[in-house]
Amino acid sequence: MPANILKFSLNRCTCVERLEDNTLRSVCTLRDTFTSASVEIVSRLPDLEIVSAQGQFHHEWLKLPDIDGIFLKLKGIRIGAGMLKIISGLIGQREELRQLTYMVEECCQAVIISLTRDILVQAPESEEAKLEFFSNMVRENIRLYNRCAAFAPGSRLVEHSQPPK
Amino acid sequence: MLTFARNKLVSVAALDPETLSIHAVLDDDAYGLEIDLRVSIEERKILDIFGKWNRWTTPECYRAIPFLQEIKGELIDETMGERVAKNLARKGCRHFANLFLECCDAATQALRVIRWENEKVARPALSFEQFLKEEGGREKTVKTTNTSPKITVPLSSCQPQIESHGAEDNRKDGVARASQDRGQGFIIDLHTHTFPASSCSSVCADELIEQARLIGLNGICLTDHNHVWSLAQVEALSQKHGFPVFRGNEITTTQGDMLVFGLEKDIRAIISIEDLRGEVDAAGGFMIAAHPFRGFLAFNTVQLGLTARKAAQRPLFQLVDALEVLNGKVTDKENGFSSSVADALRLPATGGSDAHQACEVGIYATRFFAEIGCEEQLIRALKSRDYVPVAFRSQIRQTA
Repeated sequence: MPANILKFSLNRCTCVERLEDNTLRSVCTLRDTFTSASVEIVSRLPDLEIVSAQGQFHHEWLKLPDIDGIFLKLKGIRIGAGMLKIISGLIGQREELRQLTYMVEECCQAVIISLTRDILVQAPESEEAKLEFFSNMVRENIRLYNRCAAFAPGSRLVEHSQPPK
Repeated sequence: MLTFARNKLVSVAALDPETLSIHAVLDDDAYGLEIDLRVSIEERKILDIFGKWNRWTTPECYRAIPFLQEIKGELIDETMGERVAKNLARKGCRHFANLFLECCDAATQALRVIRWENEKVARPALSFEQFLKEEGGREKTVKTTNTSPKITVPLSSCQPQIESHGAEDNRKDGVARASQDRGQGFIIDLHTHTFPASSCSSVCADELIEQARLIGLNGICLTDHNHVWSLAQVEALSQKHGFPVFRGNEITTTQGDMLVFGLEKDIRAIISIEDLRGEVDAAGGFMIAAHPFRGFLAFNTVQLGLTARKAAQRPLFQLVDALEVLNGKVTDKENGFSSSVADALRLPATGGSDAHQACEVGIYATRFFAEIGCEEQLIRALKSRDYVPVAFRSQIRQTA
């Protein structure tokens, strides 16, 4: 077979929209060579508690048991720190559930990044002001310190920050 | 209207009979990045990898790119997800790590297709379904661990609506307010983790206990994740070090982590908070909401409309006996917010370091006003509500 013909391809799209009733709807859709699936999570502000979860999952050979029952378990979980452990713990570690778990996590991560976006748009344009903006961000939220290359020792963004106590 | 969209595309081709070529793109509101890598079909080894930013946020994001080279030579196997989460995601960039793991998963799937195609050369009638049946569970996919496990999101300049108060405030529910003129009291770090009981900790119990004694704590409580220390074990540690050692358990529930005391039952799976409350009640134990607002204040809380009064209405707070309002792993703002919520609820407040290293023990602790010599006394003391959280290490620094 010619080398330019794909053996596998994947498209994953995750979107968040704010609804009128102070909730956020996050949808992750996956289409790959073997899978057609979507997961929808609705969370309520201000504490980002999951109020509903639903979805569908079709796979060439994996068959999921009681998908509605799986989604019911997610109700009441808060999107935030510690959620990945809770989500994977509730859905389970079985091979056939791995992709579904990941899609739920993607939905939740998207909610978090969508809220972060509101902060990122405030970043100034100039290089110098931008350095100050993100340096302040680390100082304000010291847990960012050493969480990635940009916030690691040696970066200009943490020059004046103290490591977490 | 969408407030956020992320698109990921991964394509896998066979460059030649020995090599896979993978191209991946991640494009969302904040970031745009691409990865190209080659993987050997026989060994599943990463032969080379190239990363590229198209859009980024901070002026230092470029520093993540060299860390991709640390993956070169690694094998795509079941442990790849964990290795990437610990290394590339933490040292480099979690968005690159996220996309790289999608690549690994896609490579694994592509290899399945290639094996089927190879089988078909000898057996042209072999269907994919039949091939899968024959192959069974021999091939496993890479576990695509989500690589952004912590919410360390930039803060806005807007402050959370914290209503009060200092770390040493006691609860105002009729229990006598503690004050420093009652002496130093008996200070215990109620929240610590040791290795190997907690895989995330890097300190053994012996070292942690010695450090606790060295800095002048009066006792320490081992609260490893979903782990039950036997009474005999902690008594042996206590005797060995001549230092009071107590036991608790940090149990993950559907509503977050809970510190429980007096519960012997070994709970390994995620449990609902209602069920855990039932277990603790049946055992006559005590339950504290650990770091109840960890990561909560990472966003613009004013925009979200989060106030201490609203937060106090969360159902979980009706099911706990106390709140941990000084925790060594959260920000001062989050601790302050927890304290405000404890006030609003008139629940007692505790402090604990959440130490995972020896140098962290005693950052925060809980001051009791009578000596505590055994587990029964500890639980009785917790139920008495007569204690205060303390910033222990900063106090001893000031004294020195």
